[in-house]
Amino acid sequence: MLSEKMERRKFLKTMSSTLLGAAAAPLLSGLPSFAKAGETSSLEYRTLGKTGLKVTTVSMGVMNCSDPAVLQRAFDLGINFYDTADCYMRGHNEEMVGKVFEGKRDKVHIQTKVHPGDEKKMRASVERSLRRLRTDYIDVLVWHGHRHPEEVSDPGLFEFMGKMKKEGKTRFIGFSAHSNMASLLTEAAKSTFHDVALVSYNFTHSKGLKEAVALAAKAGIGIVAMKTQAGGYKKGKMEGITPHQAALKYVLTDQNVAAAVPGVVSIEEIEECAAVMKSSFSRGNLEQLKKYRAFLDGRICTMCGGCTGECPNGVAYGDLLRLVMYHDGYQNDRLVKEAFGDSPAVAQIERCSECLSCSVMCRRGIDIRGKMELARSILRDLNMTGSIAG
Amino acid sequence: MKKGLIILSISILLFVLRDSSFGATTVGSLLPLKDFPKGWTLIEGPKNFNKKTLFNHINGQAELFLKYGYQKSAFAIYQNKKNTENQIDLDIYDMGNVLQAFGVFSRFRTEDRPGGFGLDSYLDERSAFFYQGKFFVLIQTTEPNPDLLKQWATMISKRIPGPSSPPMEIRYFPPDHLKAGSIQYYSESLLGHHFLKRGFQGAYLSGSKEFQLFLAIFGNSQEAVKAIGAYKDYLSSRGKVSTGVPRAFGPNAFKGEDPYKGKIIGLQKGAYLLGAVGFEREKEAEELLAEFVKNMK
Repeated sequence: MLSEKMERRKFLKTMSSTLLGAAAAPLLSGLPSFAKAGETSSLEYRTLGKTGLKVTTVSMGVMNCSDPAVLQRAFDLGINFYDTADCYMRGHNEEMVGKVFEGKRDKVHIQTKVHPGDEKKMRASVERSLRRLRTDYIDVLVWHGHRHPEEVSDPGLFEFMGKMKKEGKTRFIGFSAHSNMASLLTEAAKSTFHDVALVSYNFTHSKGLKEAVALAAKAGIGIVAMKTQAGGYKKGKMEGITPHQAALKYVLTDQNVAAAVPGVVSIEEIEECAAVMKSSFSRGNLEQLKKYRAFLDGRICTMCGGCTGECPNGVAYGDLLRLVMYHDGYQNDRLVKEAFGDSPAVAQIERCSECLSCSVMCRRGIDIRGKMELARSILRDLNMTGSIAG
Repeated sequence: MKKGLIILSISILLFVLRDSSFGATTVGSLLPLKDFPKGWTLIEGPKNFNKKTLFNHINGQAELFLKYGYQKSAFAIYQNKKNTENQIDLDIYDMGNVLQAFGVFSRFRTEDRPGGFGLDSYLDERSAFFYQGKFFVLIQTTEPNPDLLKQWATMISKRIPGPSSPPMEIRYFPPDHLKAGSIQYYSESLLGHHFLKRGFQGAYLSGSKEFQLFLAIFGNSQEAVKAIGAYKDYLSSRGKVSTGVPRAFGPNAFKGEDPYKGKIIGLQKGAYLLGAVGFEREKEAEELLAEFVKNMK
């Protein structure tokens, strides 16, 4: 359970003005909708667990989006489920959602979040969300950022969220998690309390998470996948399927996932994501995706933590694997310099030469020693070897 | 000639000194550990965060900071000795440069409520934030007290060394009818379009309506021209491309109707694509756009 102090801190992070922002005020009112006829004919819906809501499998993470035109485009494409949060851009994100969907509220489902705190503050947060969203109900209210299984069963959470549901502030409730998802979903499946779980889920994650997703879905919890793109795959196209689409489709091949909420910031991105719903994947396509995943496996560290503490010399190989990913995957040496300019991990890499073989084993097949040699090579090419202890 | 060289040398020296003074300032050193207002005490922190750990501090909100070039940040909590419920949260973010610091500031600002500290600021009952140099500073209190917030913000502002100026592009926006506090910097997908990449936008008042001027920034003029082509393609397929663009706006200028934003007029100037969008009165938009271009000289 979170300490009171931590709850307070989280509340402070969510504090925000209730006044409407106007700097990026949408200019949508009165403008015609230019959605082409037939655009909504290939939508794919799934039921969001026991909520019974029929949501588009490709939905939208609004978090990083600041232009109302992108939301409007998503709506015109037929997307009907939108994930935002009280804290995104100090509430500005919710305000934008509220403005765009004013008058269309019955056509969309809105999910937003609340942070732990005392009841008075959480209640105030929910009320602010309702005002910003210009609605008198939230479809799914999510308790933001769980990390430990005990938080999923927190009696304080049950009590408050239960009240919100009873009072009609929200129709359904749930939690979100960026890490330790399998444990959290397994714990959540033990009770009937949670209607929805918003979890990081993508092609880099383990079978364990897939099983936990299945367990939770079987318990009636609607699974919403976020961080579906995972990053690190800007490597061209595969027979007409862009990496983003491939990653999204990969998540949606799991029928236990009701919807994915890729975070998009442009009209082009939401169109690219929505097109996934129109595509039917053959076995050949799936094989291609598997090959693509295999290409990424061994290249991308998913930060699963499975190898933590295995190096006897204390080399921070996790950081150095990330360095290789920035160079090799993102092809962004600027990021390498920014992130590792003064990192102690760079100096530690020399310790690798003290071992004839590497004792660190990666369960996902990453050749740690090979990657460390590559990291040294990258650092030399970028003239960052001055940082390496001689 | 000699005088010119001396002035140039001094300018370069001042620029280098300015940058080095910021460069030498670590974000943690800006957090007051002892010399803060009487009656307050440090109860938590300082905590330092980096690109990998920022999520632990502010959850998904971290993504916004990362998109704007976030480098490092420091956080501390201060408590009033008499009223322990009265606490202050202080976050200082190193955003790498003044443009990125302004960018985050502009995305946080929901309306024009300047507090009179930093290069530009926002102040309400429970929160204050500002940018100065490469830093973005956010202060929040448990109890409503704008005077206290201003006192703390001013104190932090004074701790940030060296002179600093706002991003130069802000000055290009014509001041008349500009909605105060409306200029924002986007690190990607300006106007919601991937092809426009990064840039600024600001709102202008026209009677009871608003429209926007925007300035997309590219690496060179060829990229800007290419983006104009992409926008025209988009308008052709989804909206409308019109004729009657003033000659003074150059050979690459275009006019049309954006499906989600309304009337648009755009032009290319060097590595910039700039324009007006969402207007009703064309003449008014064209005049403002002409002034926008003029200000870039």
